[in-house]
Amino acid sequence: MAHEVAHHGEHEVSIWPLPVGVGVLLIPLAITAFFAWKAPLAALLAGGVGLALIIVGATGWAYEFFTKGHDEGHGWIAIFFFIISEIIIFGTMFVAFWMARVNHAEVWVNSWIPEGLSLSIPAFLTLVLWASSFTIWRAEVALEQGSRSKATTYILITMALGILFTVMHVSEWVHLWHQGFTLMSNMYGTGFYALTGIHTSHVIVGLILQAYALMFILSGKMNEKKMTMFSATVAYWHFVDIMWLLVASTAYVVGGLHI
Amino acid sequence: MREAIHIEKPWFSASLKEWIFTTDHKKIGIMYGITSLVFFIVGGIMALGMRVELFNPGTQHVSPDTYNYFLTVHGALMLLWWAIGIWGAFANFLIPLMIGARDVAFPRLNALGYWTFFAASVIALITLIPGNQIMHMWTGYPPYSANPNSGLTALFVFIWHLTGAASIMGAINFLTTVVRMRAPGIGFFNMNLFLHGVSSMNLIQLLGIPSIAGAVTMLFLDTYVGTNFFNPAKGGDPILYQNLFWFYSHPAVYVMVLPAFGVISEIVSTFARKPIFGYKSMVVAIWAIALVGFMVWTHHMFVSGIPDWVKILMSYTTVLIGVPTGIKIFNWVGTLYRGAVVYKTPMLYALGAILMFLIGGLTGIPLGLPAFDIAVHDSYFVVGHFHYVLGMAVTLAAFGGFFYWWPKVTGRMYSEALGKLSFWTIIVGSNVLYFPQLIVGLSGMPRRYYDYPVIGEWITLHQIQTVGAFVLAFGILLGIIALIKGTLSGEKAPANPWMSNSLEWRLPSPPPPHNFDEPPKVEKDYCPHGYCKF
Repeated sequence: MAHEVAHHGEHEVSIWPLPVGVGVLLIPLAITAFFAWKAPLAALLAGGVGLALIIVGATGWAYEFFTKGHDEGHGWIAIFFFIISEIIIFGTMFVAFWMARVNHAEVWVNSWIPEGLSLSIPAFLTLVLWASSFTIWRAEVALEQGSRSKATTYILITMALGILFTVMHVSEWVHLWHQGFTLMSNMYGTGFYALTGIHTSHVIVGLILQAYALMFILSGKMNEKKMTMFSATVAYWHFVDIMWLLVASTAYVVGGLHI
Repeated sequence: MREAIHIEKPWFSASLKEWIFTTDHKKIGIMYGITSLVFFIVGGIMALGMRVELFNPGTQHVSPDTYNYFLTVHGALMLLWWAIGIWGAFANFLIPLMIGARDVAFPRLNALGYWTFFAASVIALITLIPGNQIMHMWTGYPPYSANPNSGLTALFVFIWHLTGAASIMGAINFLTTVVRMRAPGIGFFNMNLFLHGVSSMNLIQLLGIPSIAGAVTMLFLDTYVGTNFFNPAKGGDPILYQNLFWFYSHPAVYVMVLPAFGVISEIVSTFARKPIFGYKSMVVAIWAIALVGFMVWTHHMFVSGIPDWVKILMSYTTVLIGVPTGIKIFNWVGTLYRGAVVYKTPMLYALGAILMFLIGGLTGIPLGLPAFDIAVHDSYFVVGHFHYVLGMAVTLAAFGGFFYWWPKVTGRMYSEALGKLSFWTIIVGSNVLYFPQLIVGLSGMPRRYYDYPVIGEWITLHQIQTVGAFVLAFGILLGIIALIKGTLSGEKAPANPWMSNSLEWRLPSPPPPHNFDEPPKVEKDYCPHGYCKF
């Protein structure tokens, strides 16, 4: 009993949430400084410090969890609730896109669709992302069976596919942007970059989560007994991959068809 | 051995370092409560500033821009920091105690949630600096909010993002806690009604906040990057903002009142010395309100140019919400009927909250009908209506909750005489303030204006309101003094001063650092409100 009391005594304080919270304050201030206060130097400073605090805080947080905390298995339900709220964030962008597509169908079809839009790139990106969904599932199975080296290999493949997706997508944006199809040009441009942009930002968050998981699998702290965080990462990645189908079919097919 | 001494200390006698780095739900609950209360007072002072300006027609003490700033920030603070934030305090402190858990599911995430809320508070304070004011109302409708004359839209956007992020972290945490960490024997149909209230609140937060987050993100991009979401010339739609805004912000009123309903239910059943009447119908009514609450949002937009069939549909659903709400009021009255009612301060506050919600609810039903709403839209009638429901029903329930759980939180009894005096001052002041708003609204006074024409009747009604506002402010001050005085010099509170059957009262007052050292065993037919089955 005395041992258990001591164990829980450590859990009442943690120094890591506060630095993350300060980072969470500094990032919006940096964006405000850049766009509204017109102070780019202050923005750079606040943004840099904020980002550093979040990275250090989140790393320390995860380290504390893997060394002292114990996995109570609540993570999967939390990520389920989080994904539900993410779906609604995507929903707002879809609504904006679809409403404009329906209400302005004529001008949309006649003058808003750019020349360089091709369906082969999104088709290839779909293959890349869905292949990564398969490999991360294999990584989860491998970790459950206690095979850390196999899991590491599959995570590295998944991350490589995710990075390939991001790089190809960014070059696609640059290509379209130089053709005059920008965020500002019309509601198709706004909706296209908003939808694909918010999706790619989720891909990047997924990659960061995988990098964290990889770090703790390599150091042996994450294993088959303590893998709720990895299961949550996998669920999140599947969500991002399924969402891509809706994003691509809206941004490229619904938006790009001449109907 | 050192830990053994540590555990004897009550939760509040901790060092500053323990407070700042705490992950204990009780300390975080207190931090939420203090932050909410401070911003409630700031928002209240701004309201007094507006009332002073409206005492006579013409410009007197407050310039039009300052008035708009007060109006905007009063709305944002009272809704986001007080009416929503204060339930974060109650939920944090009470959920683990009521379900028999040591803490919430993710204590560190809980701490981060508080610091994110704190970050939003810092941004709200930045708007006090000249040049950073926001003046486009807490709703921030484009195109006006995209106009530089309306103030610094970026800060408005980040207030929403940060309070929203804090609420989503809280919602995930509390829902996981209630779903996964209940002690054996506590199920869906024998939980405290307060737990149903905060759980439905958190589900609404989870589903609604992403909508407003998307809307203000679009607003930011339109204002500073030049996108076309709300620009009709390039295919955008300003009504889209209103739809996304109210898709969250109408359910948000249930975020504010459902926990208040929970608190009222706890207090009424305890002080009527009776199990709550119709417990199951209360549970169903809470979740029905949460569900139907998502289907009524366009009743805020009856004059925005939306199709008639939408108006009719949403008018029906709006009136439909009156049914579960009516069930709740009926059941509270049923609980009081033939009960041995004890009129302690929390009970007075709870009964006051029911009365104010009734007046606010009855003025709300005609507002759900387009024919009536179009006539009084954007008038003081609407202002009076939502100050009855959101302003007073929520504030009275929150103060009732303060007095009810104060012995548990601090281990000290509050001052009963001062508490009762504060209640009567508040109930008189608030009715003197808000009832004339209904009348002046029906006679045509529009809301949001810092000035009005010289009409004898309007001047009288506005002067009555201003007097009422100061009485109300004095009553709230008295209430806070009663609580502080109780903490400093009240007598020691027993574990269960109200003879409640609920789990949190089985712990000593104040609760020990880890609440339950052993998972609590509840009796086979446990029910927090006497008994549930009948």
